[in-house]
Amino acid sequence: MRILLAEDDPLLGDGLRAGLRQLGFQVDWVRNGEAAERELRAEPYAAAVLDLGLPLKDGMDVLAAVRRAGVSLPVLVLTARDAVPERISGLDAGADDYVAKPVDLHELAARLRALVRRAHGQPQECLVVQDVVLDPAARSVQQAGVTVTLPAREFDLLHVLMLNAGRVLSREQLEQHLYSWGQEVESNAVEVHIHHLRRKLGTALIQTVRGVGYTLLRENPKP
Amino acid sequence: MKLPRSLQGRLLVLVLGLVVGVWLATSVMTWIDVRHELDELLDSHLAQAAALLVVQQAREIEDDDHQLDAPTLHRYAPKVAFQVFHEGRLAMRSANAPARPMVESGVRFHTGFKTVQIDGTEWRVFAANGGERDVQVYVGEQVSSRASILWAVLRSTLWPMVVALPLLALAAWWAVYRGVAPLRRLGRTLAERQPHALHAVIVDGAPSEMAPMLDALNGLLERIAELMESERRFTADAAHELRTPIAAIRAQAQVAFGEADDALRRHALQATLKGCDRAARLVDQLLVLSRLEAGAAPAVTPLDLSALVRRTVAEVAPQAIEKQQTIELDAVEANWVQGDGTLLAVLVRNLVDNAIRYSPPHALVKVALARQQARVRLKIDDSGSGMTEQDMQRIGERFFRVIGSGQGGSGLGWSIVRRIAAVHRAEVRVGRSIDLGGLAVEVDWPAAS
Repeated sequence: MRILLAEDDPLLGDGLRAGLRQLGFQVDWVRNGEAAERELRAEPYAAAVLDLGLPLKDGMDVLAAVRRAGVSLPVLVLTARDAVPERISGLDAGADDYVAKPVDLHELAARLRALVRRAHGQPQECLVVQDVVLDPAARSVQQAGVTVTLPAREFDLLHVLMLNAGRVLSREQLEQHLYSWGQEVESNAVEVHIHHLRRKLGTALIQTVRGVGYTLLRENPKP
Repeated sequence: MKLPRSLQGRLLVLVLGLVVGVWLATSVMTWIDVRHELDELLDSHLAQAAALLVVQQAREIEDDDHQLDAPTLHRYAPKVAFQVFHEGRLAMRSANAPARPMVESGVRFHTGFKTVQIDGTEWRVFAANGGERDVQVYVGEQVSSRASILWAVLRSTLWPMVVALPLLALAAWWAVYRGVAPLRRLGRTLAERQPHALHAVIVDGAPSEMAPMLDALNGLLERIAELMESERRFTADAAHELRTPIAAIRAQAQVAFGEADDALRRHALQATLKGCDRAARLVDQLLVLSRLEAGAAPAVTPLDLSALVRRTVAEVAPQAIEKQQTIELDAVEANWVQGDGTLLAVLVRNLVDNAIRYSPPHALVKVALARQQARVRLKIDDSGSGMTEQDMQRIGERFFRVIGSGQGGSGLGWSIVRRIAAVHRAEVRVGRSIDLGGLAVEVDWPAAS
């Protein structure tokens, strides 16, 4: 899951990026409000962690601006200011969650997963498509009750496809979901990961729509 | 006389005292005036009566040569007496007159008024001479009768006063009671106030005399409210400023816990330590600032600023070396100023630290101390990116940070520098460095003689 982290403090930003990476997120880190707004408008992040006291543009203004622009991704506001009126105005400005510093990394990750799940209309913790069950918190996958071990990138790819089950995602979209900045993307990386997933989970699960991309159907196609 | 503390009592005492005083003065003047007029009138009556007796005696003395007692015709008659002597013998007298002459004169007869004691009673006596016939007439009147007339006159002025005085006191008390009612209302309003209620006090129907007091009170409340608001903001800001380094420490420590890669774990642990240093530095700064803001007077001694600057630069030089910056110091001669060594070290350290922190790697930082006439000037130039005009205006505001500096400072350093400079009567100027192109900070002290 690729998320945007907007935090101006170098030590905290570095720590959050490293911690969220450990917990399976792809993290892009920006240090000011203007960059945060630009990236949120341009890139398809699964969620954003937004500090309010950002330079150049306040976090609250960034939030209001991207919401006006129709960006609907879940936004978790992380701030030192946690008085009730500030929480209220933050939530009213379009934040989906409001967390005061300091925050436990595991809690932050769990909240992000919950936000992403709800944003995709998934009330349960685990994603279920056909006979595949994916647990984002444990980063585990089971097929028909049997645990399937997947490397991080393949897990992330399956996660994105399951979150967007029923929709066709292009190769570029999938790349954007999988890789944060500075990570080298080989030209056929997505195809290679899809190939591995099909080998492990069966060819029927992931469908190719020629010239468009890939999709995962909610129900098993009738043979 | 000590006036009562209560305004009401004070007004009562003053008003009633004045009335009683005026009244007493009036009474005394009336007394003197009436007595004078009365004496004149009654004396003239005595003289008149004596003249009548003399004339009458001139006629009758031939026919009747014996002592005669005049009848008592009125109840006041005993208070008046007369005697007529003919050739030294008593020829006629009133019933209450003694046989001896009312005026014992060692000499011969005389004429005129005299106050004498007869049987313990004071008498006003007029003596008249009958001329060649050798007749002596005395007409006397008890002095007490004059006194009783005087008293009667005074009583008529006294009675209205005696009745009026309590009424006056009551009226004055009531008027003052009504008059100070807004004061009592103000007292009640203030007493009922919550300690944190600092809005303006409004007293309905307050007289114009109370307006200056109310204005002053409301002005004070406003200033207290501002002060409390700034304190509250400071506490809140300080707490928030501490949260970020603590959050960083926590995140980095958690990363270190979960990291399998050795190099990454080391990095996270180092970042944790850095976070601790930063939090500690912030706490130190807050403490210095709160001490300075508490207004404690610095311990001022003569000190060599050059030595102090050399020491401080030596302490921070490793930071510059770490960033591959060059730091130069030009402070050869001793420069004495009056100051608090600890505070001045904090000031110098903050300025040099800022120059290093906000200048990029390979930058040049120049620290120079020189005496210019009666002042000692510390100049810190750097070849960093400097500051915009707006930022220069704003530095010194607590927690103001230059945006995009990429440095995790608290913004407290400048507040501290300005405070320390202020308590040392030093001037701080910020501008663009002519030599190096970055920021130039100058601090001017009055030199110690």
